[in-house]
Amino acid sequence: MSDDDFLRVADVSKWYGDEQVLEDVSFEMDRGDVTVLIGPSGSGKSTMLRCVNRLAEAQEGSILLDGEEVLSPDLDVDDLRREVGMVFQGFNLFAHLSARGNVALGPRRVLGLSDADAGERAEEQLDRVGLADQLDSYPAELSGGQKQRVGIARALAMEPKLMLFDEPTSALDPELIGEVLEVMHGLVDEGMTMLVVTHEMSFAREVADEVVFLDEGRVVERGPPDQLFERPDEERTGRFLERIASHD
Amino acid sequence: MASATRPTTVRERVAESDRSVGRLLLVAAGALFWGWLVVSWVNRWVGGVLVPVGQPLVPPGAVEATLAGVPGLAAYAADAAFVVELTPEFARGTWLTVVITAVSLGLGFVIAVPLAVTRVYGRVSAWVSLAYTELLRGTPLLAQLFVLYYGLNLASYVPGALSGVFARNVVWVAILGFTLNGAAYQAEYIRGALESVEEGQITAGRAIGLSKLETIYYVVLPQGLRYAIPSWTNEFVYLIKYSSLAAFITVPELYYRADQIASETFRYTLIFVLTGVMYLALVLTASKVMARVEGAVAIPGLGAERGE
Ligand SMILES: Nc1ncnc2c1ncn2[C@@H]1O[C@H](COP(=O)(O)OP(=O)(O)OP(=O)(O)O)[C@@H](O)[C@H]1O
Ligand SMILES: [Mg+2]
Repeated sequence: MSDDDFLRVADVSKWYGDEQVLEDVSFEMDRGDVTVLIGPSGSGKSTMLRCVNRLAEAQEGSILLDGEEVLSPDLDVDDLRREVGMVFQGFNLFAHLSARGNVALGPRRVLGLSDADAGERAEEQLDRVGLADQLDSYPAELSGGQKQRVGIARALAMEPKLMLFDEPTSALDPELIGEVLEVMHGLVDEGMTMLVVTHEMSFAREVADEVVFLDEGRVVERGPPDQLFERPDEERTGRFLERIASHD
Repeated sequence: MASATRPTTVRERVAESDRSVGRLLLVAAGALFWGWLVVSWVNRWVGGVLVPVGQPLVPPGAVEATLAGVPGLAAYAADAAFVVELTPEFARGTWLTVVITAVSLGLGFVIAVPLAVTRVYGRVSAWVSLAYTELLRGTPLLAQLFVLYYGLNLASYVPGALSGVFARNVVWVAILGFTLNGAAYQAEYIRGALESVEEGQITAGRAIGLSKLETIYYVVLPQGLRYAIPSWTNEFVYLIKYSSLAAFITVPELYYRADQIASETFRYTLIFVLTGVMYLALVLTASKVMARVEGAVAIPGLGAERGE
């Protein structure tokens, strides 16, 4: 644990009512790192991600992002969210806006760009995810893979320094997963810092600097993908990996 | 737009032409109705350029003479002339009905949107808004009008600058009553529609740094208000008809005038059938217009588009 970690999650605990969903979770990331969170359903992966951009409030612990305490009550959460992009399992696109409108909304209303500049930025980002030809399509007119790429472009348009992905491919038909992973690979190559919840093991193996295995709100084990996937220290990790491997 | 699929079978073509004849008749009737109203109103505002104020657009005598010469219609000539004689009164009453409905609906909407938003997203304000809607929806509209009119004697408080706008100050009382009451109903419809906007979109709005209010304004309302159009149209239609309750506080709108003419002439059936036709024309216009609006603002791909 060094002082210049880009993201440092330390002993984070969270309760929903009486139920503890995160217990002393800790991990660190350097700038440009890709960390993959895995774990069974209900283990707290989404909650952990949401604590980083304060969509959920952790009650204990510390999350330092670029030296700033995310959990500080004085922090302006809207400022924080400007710098942390999030991509959702269910896409969550704004149904009444075209692809361009979805991506431009943040730059226009949060960053205060003019309509023209926000529109231009939206076009750049949609081009970046390979949707230059779908600028004027509405979410209901797009395939799942296209929707998720709009979702990624929407987050990128804020020029975030950290991207959170919550199972970005879980809601997709198998044949559409590839196009989304391809965009994510592109981001890795550009040096984006990414915290990703996913069960795409090949993606984790190829790009993750570290894999963190969560179970019942606790970090059971973490380490580089080769080690964690091939020689897990914990029996529970091995069992979980076998289970998801048999689903593939 | 050229339609891609043309009816093929004879039966389809007959059905198609029946539909277009029906539509043509409806459009013609609508044009006649609104043409008559607008020309009557304009004539009154410009001080009787076409015909003296208070006179029918066509002379009743001429109508009677014409019809008398047509075999089969001669028996109705006198009635027709009687109806034509009444048209200026009906036009004036309908004008007030339209104004009261439109103004109350518009003002009510302005109140209803924040009411609905606080109902869905507020904490303390949700209870205030709930109390308001339940109170206004749970008591008779007529009783509300009477409280404003007799109980608070609001008509006497209309400021001088406004008192000349309508012939009687009670029009303001009626507008206030319908606004407050309609807002409660509109808020209920809008609330239901806001709740149907997926939670995930609100999360997404928050995640890009929009505040809660901004998310409501830029994400929830544009969708919720669209989804509310069909049920909101019901409130529009109800208000057109409920506006007749203003007659009970002496507002000279359509129903009030019809009632007066009927009690002077004793032609109750004829007059109230005619009055019903006026309301029907207004209601049909409202629902047709709103259907158009719904189609025009439909979100592409969501299936609310109406093929015209
Ligand atoms: N808003 C909430 N209120 C109460 N409990 C919640 C809430 N959100 C999540 N939980 C609970 O917290 C626990 C962790 O949930 P979380 O969604 O973080 O798990 P997850 O690892 O993302 O699971 P999945 O793989 O199913 O997405 C679960 O037991 C869940 O029921
Ligand atoms: Mg989850």
